[in-house]
Amino acid sequence: MDWVFLSELAINGALTGLLYSLFAIGLVLIYKASSVPNLAQGGLTMVGAYVVLALARDVGLSLWLAIPLAAVVMFGLGFGIERVALRRLAGRPVVMILMLTLGLDIFLRGTTLAIWGGTSRSMELGVSYDPLFLGDIFISRIHLVGAGVALALFVAFMLFFQTRTGIKLRAIADDYMASWSVGISVERGVGLSWALASVVAVAAGVIWGEIQGVDQALSLLLLKGLTVAVLGGLDSILGAVIAGIILGVVENVGADFLDPLVGGGSRELIVAAVLILTVMIRPHGLFGRHDIERV
Amino acid sequence: MQEKVEAQNILSMNSVEVLYDNVMLAIKGVSVQVPTGGMIALLGSNGAGKSTTLKAISGLLKAERGRISRGGITFQGTDITEALAQKRVEMGICHVIEGRRVFEHLTPDENLTAAAPRGMSRSTLSAEKDKIYAYFPRLAERRNSQAGYLSGGEQQMLAIGRALVTQPKLLMLDEPSLGLAPFLVEEIFGILQRINREEGLSVLLVEQNALAALEIVSQGYLIENGRVVMHGTAEALKSNSDIQEFYLGGGEGTDFHNVKHYSRRKRWLS
Amino acid sequence: MFYRLSGVHHANYVSDSRIFKVPADRNLTAFIFLIGLAAPFIIPSLYLNSYMLPWLIWTAAALGLNLVTGWAGQLHLGYAAVMAVGAYSAIHAARFGVPWEFALIIGGLTSSVIGSLFAFAALRVKGLYLALTTLAMQFVMDWVLTHSPAISGGSHASLQSPTLALLGQEITTDTGFYYVAFGWCVLVTIFMLNLKRTGLGRALVAVREKDFAAAILGVNSFYYKILAFATSSFIAGVSGALLVATFFFLAAPEQFSVAVSIQVLAMVIVGGLGSIIGSYFGVALILLVPGIVNGLVVTLSDGLGMQINVETLAHIPNAVYGALIVIILLIEPLGLGKLYGNIRDYLMVWPFDQFKK
Repeated sequence: MDWVFLSELAINGALTGLLYSLFAIGLVLIYKASSVPNLAQGGLTMVGAYVVLALARDVGLSLWLAIPLAAVVMFGLGFGIERVALRRLAGRPVVMILMLTLGLDIFLRGTTLAIWGGTSRSMELGVSYDPLFLGDIFISRIHLVGAGVALALFVAFMLFFQTRTGIKLRAIADDYMASWSVGISVERGVGLSWALASVVAVAAGVIWGEIQGVDQALSLLLLKGLTVAVLGGLDSILGAVIAGIILGVVENVGADFLDPLVGGGSRELIVAAVLILTVMIRPHGLFGRHDIERV
Repeated sequence: MQEKVEAQNILSMNSVEVLYDNVMLAIKGVSVQVPTGGMIALLGSNGAGKSTTLKAISGLLKAERGRISRGGITFQGTDITEALAQKRVEMGICHVIEGRRVFEHLTPDENLTAAAPRGMSRSTLSAEKDKIYAYFPRLAERRNSQAGYLSGGEQQMLAIGRALVTQPKLLMLDEPSLGLAPFLVEEIFGILQRINREEGLSVLLVEQNALAALEIVSQGYLIENGRVVMHGTAEALKSNSDIQEFYLGGGEGTDFHNVKHYSRRKRWLS
Repeated sequence: MFYRLSGVHHANYVSDSRIFKVPADRNLTAFIFLIGLAAPFIIPSLYLNSYMLPWLIWTAAALGLNLVTGWAGQLHLGYAAVMAVGAYSAIHAARFGVPWEFALIIGGLTSSVIGSLFAFAALRVKGLYLALTTLAMQFVMDWVLTHSPAISGGSHASLQSPTLALLGQEITTDTGFYYVAFGWCVLVTIFMLNLKRTGLGRALVAVREKDFAAAILGVNSFYYKILAFATSSFIAGVSGALLVATFFFLAAPEQFSVAVSIQVLAMVIVGGLGSIIGSYFGVALILLVPGIVNGLVVTLSDGLGMQINVETLAHIPNAVYGALIVIILLIEPLGLGKLYGNIRDYLMVWPFDQFKK
């Protein structure tokens, strides 16, 4: 057993995992504030990355101006999605809401590709590709940057959910009716959560776009993001971060063991297996709230 | 004359009809007046339309696909028949909904924060909280535990406290005594009376526990099958033989003849 | 034509539980059935082959999913994987020399067995979590398919389907393929129409509404959930096999990917959960409208002399497909079947209900 190699796998896995968390935080935000599973987060991430590129390349802004501007645009888009689509289906069975978000995902992907085309573009953040060495361990810089962004967002949202607005969002997730009865604007709260998730999607889109190029494949992060979110407990941001690290490590180390046995490509299998096992063994995840259903 | 009545009554509800889903008529012309600073009870059995009446006043009907199809509601002289629930809370109507629906995954302290109106300053909020904890000392002890694990009585107190944070002028409570031990009901009703006295808060109380309710209110309305069938002072209601028979569980022994007589009376009432 | 309810009185339970309670519905169905029979002589073979045929097979498949999602209320995002199991096992069986009739049944039964695995997830969780589990299972199936050359057919991952032959008759013409699809779709439809009237159908609905409440009433929800999954998987398997045998002719893993699972679910939901006629509408809408819109865009841009980039054109159908799902759900969450029902009920008593007010 090569311990250096194994710890390199583990550390890089953890960093990649934090990037999954970055994606999953968007899912968790919406679930935490409205109990809606947002399967459109993949589409949103893709749109986020494309909007950044559109502002940077087509309009010609500097990338550092384009990213915050894109965040503003996406903030508006998130509010718009709630206003146009989610509000009408509030209180409907989960199957319809799932389908709605899936439809949104397909629509967002289709529209993005129709406007900007499907050829992969590069983000060019300017992060050096020279490897970073920690002792003997090789670390990718962009992963480190992304992990930093994920942790920063994590801290920001942990603080946010302690503010008065954050508490109101949590209250909405608990009970729509009771929220209305004390004058909380449920619609505005849910809209805000979609807007924030869309901003997170910009962050995830930029980082992942830098790593794997800006194209349709960005929306495929959905499965990994979902797995992280479910493992963490769907409504726990801390859970999303820890689950991200766990999934990243398991995936990286596991793939290294499994790939030679099955002839490569076992990553997806591991992710799917983690998702199935989580739901079967502990549906509310590591840190999720536990709801009791009564007849 | 009309204006004078308006000035005395903080809320007046005039022959309101409520339709659910555009088909089901839940209340059929209910008129209720709440005098400023008064304490009023709505009595009646299950499904009589008491909760619907409260929801019509607080604007929560919309969430259940209901609407006011006839009649109007005025609050402090303003027509609020069509206003949004959120607007009504801002104006000072707060509805403690049935079943102690506290925000279970939040702490009591956060429950109170969640209900704070927009723009309430930090110092006002903490003053409000202190006042509420003074009314309900039990809540203060458990302010940082999870609200879902509070006992039933504590949850009811929290629900009332949460409503008080919105600084209401009219507090409406839907069956606060539901499923609580008699001494807790007494404690909560005592606190309600104190709040009513000390802050001049008008209270509209919906109750099945008529005995307890009539002890603390000044007037009561009896609702049956979506209509007001009786209205009077608490004393008058308490001494009414029908009320005694149907709601207070008292009166003389029931022989078959009497039961028949009462059910005929009851049908006539509704 | 008018007053179609006149003279319709159900005086006993037998008459009230008939498939078609109103003669007008039965006549309409018979009329459509006849059109279906005559379609090869009416519709040009190009349309028959590229629109009617997939429409019918997908409808059969969607009805199968409707059984498990609409009736039994179990979310299923791995339906395409189950179809793949049926398709691959039937084709392997046929290539091995098993007659097609049996190959199709083998495909159906294999699907049933594998599909019942999904039911075990449904026993543990429901709603969102079931959707996610079935989604993950779809990924596992996809992975198995693409990573086992023995199943997917060698390095090119494509498997030639042998010529379809039923009842000793080789089927090679478009008309022949069409009748096979038509027959299968009619069969599934009749099964679903009758399901409503049986104890099984009622038990499934009870499980959907509240499974443990159903259990208290003595409905064994464990048994019925597995039965629902097994039956729907059988339909999926045969539909998948027929799709390859009469339409694709070549089985490839991407024909049964996650996107396809989502597409079938979209067909069912856009059509209306639990609605049979709705499934027909839903499939037609999801399958045909994006292409039609694309055609319109091409004609329009040609007409206006605009140049639309090829890539844009390639992605417009996808955008339209997503938008359709969202729009239909916003207009009527119960789908096209409900919209049809509303119009039908309105016309049923027209013009008499105008006098009511």
